[in-house]
Amino acid sequence: MRAYILFLFAMMSTRLLLLLYLTGHVFAKKSQDVDCLVVNLDYVSCKWNKTGTPEVNYTFYSKLGNDQWKICNHYLTENNVNIGCNQQVDSGDRFKTFRTRLTNGSENFEKGHELKKQVKLNPPTNLTVLNGSDFNLWFYWNHTSPAPLHCVEGEVRFRTNNNNWDFSKVSAGIQKYCINLPSSSSRYELQVRNRIDDSCGESIFWSDWSEPVVWGSNNSTYSKDLMSPWTPVIYLVGVISFILLAMLLMHHERLRIILVPVVPKPSPFLHNIEDWFQFSKGLKDNFKPDYNERACPVREYNYVSQSDVVSSDGSTCSVTTDQTDCSIEHDPEDLSSPFPSNPVSSEEVQKASV
Amino acid sequence: MKLIVFCLFTIYCCSLVKASPMERKKLQEVLRELKMLKRDFPNTELMMNTPPKDIEDCCCLTALTCFRETLLQQFGISGKYQKKLYKSLNHTLTISGLNFCNTETSTTNCSTCHSHPKEKASEFFNRLESLVQRGLSRIN
Repeated sequence: MRAYILFLFAMMSTRLLLLLYLTGHVFAKKSQDVDCLVVNLDYVSCKWNKTGTPEVNYTFYSKLGNDQWKICNHYLTENNVNIGCNQQVDSGDRFKTFRTRLTNGSENFEKGHELKKQVKLNPPTNLTVLNGSDFNLWFYWNHTSPAPLHCVEGEVRFRTNNNNWDFSKVSAGIQKYCINLPSSSSRYELQVRNRIDDSCGESIFWSDWSEPVVWGSNNSTYSKDLMSPWTPVIYLVGVISFILLAMLLMHHERLRIILVPVVPKPSPFLHNIEDWFQFSKGLKDNFKPDYNERACPVREYNYVSQSDVVSSDGSTCSVTTDQTDCSIEHDPEDLSSPFPSNPVSSEEVQKASV
Repeated sequence: MKLIVFCLFTIYCCSLVKASPMERKKLQEVLRELKMLKRDFPNTELMMNTPPKDIEDCCCLTALTCFRETLLQQFGISGKYQKKLYKSLNHTLTISGLNFCNTETSTTNCSTCHSHPKEKASEFFNRLESLVQRGLSRIN
């Protein structure tokens, strides 16, 4: 029984506390969130209208490091309601803690800010383009913040003929950029932005892009250069010439050997030398060691008159100087025929005369 | 004698003219060494006496001394990066680069190193980095 009562008591306490908690949230005052940004290292801009225009006018105070609280001199308003404040600061003050206070009667909202990285510079100015003596395209610009030059790094973006942007980082201390050997028929557009470099406390915000600068032809066509009308004709003539040359070389071996000499291909094994050369079969046969070529007998014939010649059978023959016709197949040992179709040699005539 | 004095004075003036770029280079070197030490430091939860975030201009050199001596006490100079960083923090160019004080009487109000509350090593390195960056942002 006692346990049951204790249980009931705990349940009711929990519900009551929950009810009070929820009720408290409903009637709780909405806190104002202040966001601050160092603009161009000149002033700090704080705003409290992130969730909408406030219903009441707040008074803004700020304090740097261990200094005294200062009231705002320059409010930003919207519909006659204070929504922000611009406060002058020195460039080195961003390394100190920046405290803000919003008050309205009994309401008091305080917040601490680390401004070192909350810097947004103004965009670079005086962006100009020059065509250098080295035929490169040079871009120059300035920055307006009080930051030293070695504390400001940049980023450029450029595009050719309205294509996609190309991005490139520019190291701190440098305020120029080069495009190598630009095409005179293309259009180049470039923009630049900057921020505080890492060595001086890198800012997380880049500045806005500068005003663009354009170089190049406005009337240039954005496609590839037009082809000359003679170019396909020249290509066609070249192809036809090549085909003719190939056909000529295939049908004239002598010409091919002159124009494209055969390079011997020595084999590690000592085979026949004719294997080194890529000759035709007929030419190759000439190098065979067992090659036998029929010798053409060449004879000299003397003119002998009929009266001086007495043959055994009374036959007479006359001979003339002539060469044997090598085109007729003839056994060189066979000289027995008295009336050879070919004239006989002088030796045979002397035998006949004796 | 007058000529010698004049020459020495000329040399002194010339050294002053060239001091700014050398100070900048020295402070950039300190930053690089600090980043290397932070990267390789094993125990970021170690508690160390750390100068405050908001250091008065005339207390920056006192804070620098505190950072240097705390480094020496906690880590010694046995490590490669610890040794380099300690030497750089002790360099005359670093000291002149972080000297933001224009008056002579303000140094007596600066807190001593042991009076600073202890913070984690990561916070210690971040505050030292901010001090050096503050010096670099002042050099033209």
